[in-house]
Formats: sequence, structure tokens, C-alpha cells
Amino acid sequence: MKWSLPALAALLLFYPFILTGPFYWDIGVAFLLAAISASAWNIVGGYAGQVSVGHSMFFGVGAYTPLLFYHLWGLPPVAGVPAGMLVSLVLAVAIGMPTFRLQGHYFSMATIAVAELIRIFVGTWDLVGAAIGLQGPAVGRAWWDLTFRSELPYYYIFLAVLAVVLYTTFEVERSRFGYYLRAIKAGERAARSLGVPVRATKLKALMLSAVFTSVAGSLYSIKTGFIDPESGFGILVSVQMVIIAALGGAGTLFGPLIGALLLVPLQTATNTWFGGGGSGLTYILYGGIIVLLARFEPGGMHEWWQRVAPRLMRRSHAA
Amino acid sequence: MLLVQVIVGGLLLGAIYALFSSGLTLIWGMMNFINFAHGEFVMLGMYVALLVVVWLGGGPAAFGFAAAFALFVLGVIVYISLIRHVMRGPMLAQILSTFGLALLLRYTAFWIFSANFVSLPQVSLSGTVNVAGILMPVPQLVAGIAAIALTLALHLLLTRTTVGSQLLAVAEDRNAAMLMGIRPDRMQALAWGLAAGSAGIAGALMAMSYPWSPSVGETFGLTAFVVVTLGGFGSVPGAMYAGLIIGLIQALSAYWFGPIYKDIVVYALFAALLWLRPQGLMGKA
Amino acid sequence: MTAAALAVAAILMSTPSAKAAGTVKIGILWPLTGNAAAAGQASKAAAEVAADIVNNKHPELADLPLAATEGLPNQGGAKLELIFVDHQGNPSLAQQLATRLITQDAVHVLLGAYQSSCSFTATAVAERHGIPFMVGDSAALNITGRGFKWVFRSTPIASDYAATYMRFFDDMKKAGKRIASIAVVTENTDYGTSVADSIEAAAKKNNVAVAIRIPYSASSPDVSAQVLQLKEKQPDVVIFISYTSDSILYMKTMKNLDYMPPMVIGDDTGFSDPSFIPAVADIAQGAMNRSAWDIGKPGSTTYKINEMYKAKTGRDLDDTSGRNMQGFLVLADALNRAGSTEPEKIRDALAKTDLKPEQLMMGYNGVKFDDTGQNILASTYLIQLKDKQYQLVWPDKAAAAKLDWPMKGWKQ
Repeated sequence: MKWSLPALAALLLFYPFILTGPFYWDIGVAFLLAAISASAWNIVGGYAGQVSVGHSMFFGVGAYTPLLFYHLWGLPPVAGVPAGMLVSLVLAVAIGMPTFRLQGHYFSMATIAVAELIRIFVGTWDLVGAAIGLQGPAVGRAWWDLTFRSELPYYYIFLAVLAVVLYTTFEVERSRFGYYLRAIKAGERAARSLGVPVRATKLKALMLSAVFTSVAGSLYSIKTGFIDPESGFGILVSVQMVIIAALGGAGTLFGPLIGALLLVPLQTATNTWFGGGGSGLTYILYGGIIVLLARFEPGGMHEWWQRVAPRLMRRSHAA
Repeated sequence: MLLVQVIVGGLLLGAIYALFSSGLTLIWGMMNFINFAHGEFVMLGMYVALLVVVWLGGGPAAFGFAAAFALFVLGVIVYISLIRHVMRGPMLAQILSTFGLALLLRYTAFWIFSANFVSLPQVSLSGTVNVAGILMPVPQLVAGIAAIALTLALHLLLTRTTVGSQLLAVAEDRNAAMLMGIRPDRMQALAWGLAAGSAGIAGALMAMSYPWSPSVGETFGLTAFVVVTLGGFGSVPGAMYAGLIIGLIQALSAYWFGPIYKDIVVYALFAALLWLRPQGLMGKA
Repeated sequence: MTAAALAVAAILMSTPSAKAAGTVKIGILWPLTGNAAAAGQASKAAAEVAADIVNNKHPELADLPLAATEGLPNQGGAKLELIFVDHQGNPSLAQQLATRLITQDAVHVLLGAYQSSCSFTATAVAERHGIPFMVGDSAALNITGRGFKWVFRSTPIASDYAATYMRFFDDMKKAGKRIASIAVVTENTDYGTSVADSIEAAAKKNNVAVAIRIPYSASSPDVSAQVLQLKEKQPDVVIFISYTSDSILYMKTMKNLDYMPPMVIGDDTGFSDPSFIPAVADIAQGAMNRSAWDIGKPGSTTYKINEMYKAKTGRDLDDTSGRNMQGFLVLADALNRAGSTEPEKIRDALAKTDLKPEQLMMGYNGVKFDDTGQNILASTYLIQLKDKQYQLVWPDKAAAAKLDWPMKGWKQ
């Protein structure tokens, strides 16, 4: 599959010129954002097997800080991105340390509880807009406010970030850290007996994942120019990350990308076909897809392809 | 005294929490499995009640029974078609399965019933009971008492009947139970039916007093988790006490701190429990 | 063959501009499903009636600009085309839909969005893309408080309502009623927070004590804590700033807990929703509400408009839908004066709007926008629930019925 990576890169790079216009560019941007968030989650949820369903806490932090910097001090939202990453990092450590002691389902539940707690709390905190939320500059004061009318600049900025996340994941995969992650996923007790520093590894994975998720949140709020407790910290944000990674294949490099590739156009299609009622249909489909995935192919499309591809190859060679 | 009024209101609602959480704790105790769609079972029970009233003109007994039965069937179906298979699979699949189910149920309800809040048309139960200055609307009073009664009934079912002891045997030691001739699969299906059924009837009871929409399932699900964590996994009596306590804490928080803070207190308690005492009041560690 | 192909191509390429004189597209964002669906649907019907008034000849409504003619006379009789979208009360969705309306449906102007939180986000999109946005009904101050050029609002705002309430309290005090303290129960999004803030500020200036302010989340089903807090504080007036299902729930819970303050004032919204009166008329007699809409006497323009609306929906026009309809008509008037579909021209026409009270269907003192885009002549009256209808009770000079104080609620 040596040619597939350059081909993929070229496709992503030139997509806006292959399918032009606000409609397709909007889908492209949505796809990239979904891929970034899911890839970020993938590090701790896919590779290390720690199924967090509360990652919206990091996304929300990353989404709020840029608009907060604008709202409080009039700074360009971009200036708030590093702050978001820092707060997410601290949050990851604070949450990770007590929560990683819990196993399996309890861990997932704890992540949901904490994310919900933060969401409700933010909804009562006046400084960050309470239930109303925050807005960014509607009309940019200069280019660094990043308020573009067209989707195109956002597309390339997001693409650059995706490349960074994927590259980092790639390096992690190949490193000893990656080996530790896979060992933990396979079985924590066994990993510990092999000398894997389980606690430290899980924490590091969460920290890395949190930072990237935070950046995804920042990208989202800078582009849309609005954030509120529901769109930043809502449970659907968390669930979407998990679903997309799982659909494509959690714990694989390109799984989140494939998941996003399948799910984002699907969501746009159902929204467009059914107008207002469409978003309900989208989530029914989401739900159905996840249930089928869980029931028949937990490894996602990646695993399905691993099973099916050799058979296809054999048939084409035989012919 | 207003404070007593707050307490009574909290306990009545807490009783309903106890009812729908008892089913969740049963599954949890038996299978070490968390049903993220549990809140949706409650929500569906509310809609079953609505349909029975609107289509058949039934009263509380009718729609209560209908909700219990319909959800019982749903619970068994969910177990047989989905849960039974994913239990043997990876953790991600187990979590995703009921999450996906929750989305499916919730948004199908949105699709069918729309997102508008609905309430049961005026039912036969109305009016308010006045006991020494404490006002209890009849629907809420009846719901609370019925909920406690049903929770106790579930507890008795588990501890005093043959079927019950078979369920508990599977919970305690699946292999030993198999050796005794008990079919774990059947027992687990039954547990799911009971859990969903109790959630359904809890929903029907709540529908008598409160408006709802498909979105309420999410909150009930989380409430159920909190109750079960506090009460201890696998303990129905624990769920009963915990339900009452959580209802009480919620009402007091809303009254003392303000309605927008009541959920914060409850979830903070939840997070604290998970970190400090995951086994809750009465559960096995 | 080539000539034919070229001819076809020429025709195909010219067709878009040949259609341009035909329609002016208005993108309308309302909650057609969700908590406020009834209000959204009612407004949608009102907008359709308004479109009918503008697009077709209605000489019997001669007071209203554009009623007598067909379409927009200054744009060659161009008709208005309405594109409705449902934001479900979700501000993020409102924002996405506004973007779609502008970039993909190429609407010329926008109207919306009911919930202040949704207007807040959708208007920012209009500002960024330079498309005029008319807010027909949202009350939060911050919607026109951001220095935006493209946003206009025909309806009164939170501070107007607060001032109205204070004037009402002054009148009541002069008539000997006790108003030592008030309470404000408010849903906690943009709308509720903005009105509550305005009320608190105005109360402070007018020496009216606010006994308690109770914010709550519109999505929780149990409101007994709020009612019990009120019961403890015993205010003389309770002002509810709530959407539909909460408004109904409050009335029911108050009855259950046997709590009735001397007066309840609903800040429109939930209290004006078509489902409110049928649900709680028997237990909320005497509850007050605000409205800028009065059906008026048979034969009047407002009466005829109400008849048109009633023929379409089977119900009387309510205040919220009326204000949206008025916003629509102001927009149509400006589109006509602009004489073109260019955004800048439309914006200029809007800024120069100067409608007199006789040209309006609502009880405003006129329509004239200041440089924040706010109609400075917007105003409202107060109405009271008697039997199954709201009647105008304040100010005295416009009153059609006597004000009952204290309210009766469920008691006879």
C-alpha cells in the first residue's frame, strides 16, 4: 500500500478544487474536524483501550479559552489556544489520576460524570457566559482574528493540524510508548507483570490526547465564532469522537479518518434531505450504525477490511 | 414548615428514582455490565403511558401495567439480540452497544413524537392531599408509594422466590450456577426484562406529574447511575435507600442553593463516590 | 449543430439573470420543533399570511404598506419567496442554518429567530456575510448591542419591558396596591437573563425591592423548589420569564403547592403560547402578560388581519406571532424602498425606515431605527387573563377591561 499515503495526501490537499463551492468545502471542514477530534481520542481510547466518553471536557476547554481571551481582553481568539492546551493538560492529570484506578465500565462512567459536571458548572458561571455562551469577533479586525467568510482557509488550517496529529500518532505507534499502550490494552495485569509502567503510561496517553482534543475544540470555536455549554461540553461531542474512531477502527492510525469519511457525508446527506427533521434521522442512523458495529464488527471498518481484503485479492489473482 | 415540604417532595421523587435504579443495579450486579440506555427505558415508559391514555383511554393501572409489560419485552429482546453477544467481546464494543442503543431509542422517539414537551391529559388522579400542612399532590403521592411498593416487591422476588434465588445465584457465581442446572442465559434475559420493566413503570408513574420529551432519558440515566453507585452495585435495597437519599439531596440543593445548582451537587457526589467509595453503601466491593 | 449548441448554451447562461426580477428570497429561522414549537409554527403561519398580503392585492387593508399592490412595486412586482428553517431552539444549529441560508440558498434577507440565544448567533453570521437580518421578536439586549451594522430589530427589547413593568408598578402603587417586593423567576439562557437583568436594574432605580431572583434551566421537569422558594419569600408580584412548558408547569405546581401571589406577570413568550390558555385557564385567572397586539374592533385593519390568520389556523393571532409578522412587513417595506436586491441598498432602506403608527398592525408608536438597529418607537401594553382570553388592561387610556388585583387564580 505504498502509493496509498501520497495518494491520500494529494486527495486531501486538492479536494477543495475537485469539489468546489461552499457546500462541499463545508463538508470538508466538518470531516477534518471530526477526524482531528477522533484521532485525538484514539490515542487513549483506541490504542490504550481506555474508553473515555467524557472527552468533551477537553474539547470544551479548548473551545472556550480562545473566545474567552477575546471576550475578556479583546485578544485575537488564536491567542487563547495555548492556554486551552495547558488547562486541558492540567485537567487530564487531575482527572486521570483518580479515575484510572477504576476499571472498564466504571472508568467510562466516571468520565461521563466529570464531563457532565463541568458542562453544568460552566452553564452557571457568569464569567464564561453561563448558559448563554461566548461569541468571537463576528467581523474580524485583522487577518489574525481568523474570521473568514469562505471555508477555504479553515480547510487548510485544519488539514495542517490533522497532519500533525496523525504524524504524532504514527510516531507513538512505532515507539516503546506505543508498545506499552498496546500491552495495557491487551491486559493491564499482564502488562504490569512485564514491567510496563501502567499508571504513568495511561496518564501520558491521556495528557497527549487531551492536548490534541483541546486544539480540536479551539479550531471549532474559532471557525464557528460561538460556543456554549452544550456545543462545547455536551455528551454528543464525546460520543461523536468515540463513534467515529470506532467505526473506522479504534487503535489504528487511519481508523478515525475512515470513520469520519463515512460518517460526516452521511450526516450532511441526512440533514440536507430531510431539512429540519433530518438531524433526528442522523442520530437514529448513528445509533443504528454503532449498535451494528458493536454487535458484528467491533474492530471497525479497518478490521472488516483486514478480513475481506485478502479474499478479494485472492479472487482477483485467481482470475 | 416549608423545609418539611421540600423533604417530602424530594422523597416522593426519590422513590421513583429508587424504582428505576433497582433494575439497573440488578444487571450491574449480575453481569458487571452498565446499560447506558437505561434512561431511555424510563422515557419510553412515559410514552407508552401517553399512548395508552390517548388511544385506549386507560387509567393509571392500565398504563402502568402496559408500560411495565412493553418495556419488559423490550428488555428481553435487547438482551437476546444484542447484549448476549457483546458481553463476550472487547470493552469498547460493550460500551458502544448500549450507547448506540440509547441514541437509537432516543432519536427514534424524537422522530416519532417530535421534541415537544408533552404531558398526560388530565388523569383520574387529581387533587392534593393535605397532611398537617404538608401538601402532596395525589399523582405524586400515589407514584411515590407505588414506586416503593414495587421496589420492595422486586427485592422480595429476588430474595424469597425460586426464580429470585436463581437470578442471584447467577449474579454470585455464574459457573457454579450452571453446574446447578441454572441457565445463566435465561436468567440474564429475565434480569434485563425486569430491569427494563421497572424502568418503564417508573416512567409511567412520573408521567402522571411531570411533562417530558425524548430528551429526558439522558438525565434519568445519569441519575440512575448515581443512585446505583451510592447504593452499591447489585443491591436492590441499596438502590432503594440511595434513591430516596438522592431525591432528598436534589430537592434540598434546589431549595437552598437554587434550581440551577441541584444537578451539580448530585454529579459532584457521583464523582466523589466513584473515586472514594465505588462500592457505595451496600454493594460488594 | 454548433450554432444550436451555442444558442442553447447562451440561453442556459442567461436564464439565471432572467429570473432575478421574479423573486426576493427571505430566509426565516424559527423553532418549528422543540420546546417552543407551537410558537414557531404560529409565527410561520403569520409570516405566510403576511407574504400573502404583500404578494397579492388586498385593497381592504389599505393602511398597510404594500397590501394594496401585488408584490414589490419598486422591484417590478417581484414576489417574496419564503425559505423556512427549523433551528429547534439550538443556538449552534441556528448559526449553521443561517450560514447555509446565506451561502447555499442565497437569500437576500433573514428574519428570526424567536429564542434570543438563537438570534444572538444567527445575527452574527449575517453580520459577517453582510446580509440584512430583521429580528422580529427576541428581547435580549445584546442582540443589538454589539455594534453590528446589518442587524435590525422592530420589537421592543428587555429594557423596554422592564421600564413598562416599573411604570405599571408606579400606577398600582398610586392606586393603593402594595408592591413592597417582587420576585423574578427566569429561564437561564440569553432571553431570560437579559430581561431579568433589565428588571433588576430598573427596579433598583425605581426603589422596588427584588426579594429573590430564581434562575432555572428550562429543561428540568420539576419546579417545586422554585415555587417553594417563592412561598418562603412572599413577594407581592412574581414575574415569570419562561418558555411554554415551564410556564404551564409553574401554574400547575403553584396550584399543587397552594401558592398564589397577589399578582403573576408573564413576560410574554410561554404565557402567549397558543397552548398556554387551554392548559391552565381554569387555574390562572387574572394572570397578566404583556402584548403589543390587540385584535381591535370589527372592521379595523387589525381585525381583518386576525380573520385572515384565523381562517388559516383556526386561532386568534397571538402577540409573538404578531410581532414577527410586523417584522416581516417592515422588512418588505424596506425591500420595496430599496428597489434592488443588493445588500447595501436594502440595508440603507432599512436604516431609513420611518413608519407611522397608522401603518402598523402592532401597537408600537412607530418604526424608526437608531444606529444600533433598534426600533426606538417600540412599545407594549399589559393584558390580563379573564375567562379564556387575554384583555387589554393597561395603560388606562388603551384599556378595554378593568384590571383585577389581586388575581383570582383557581379560586372563585
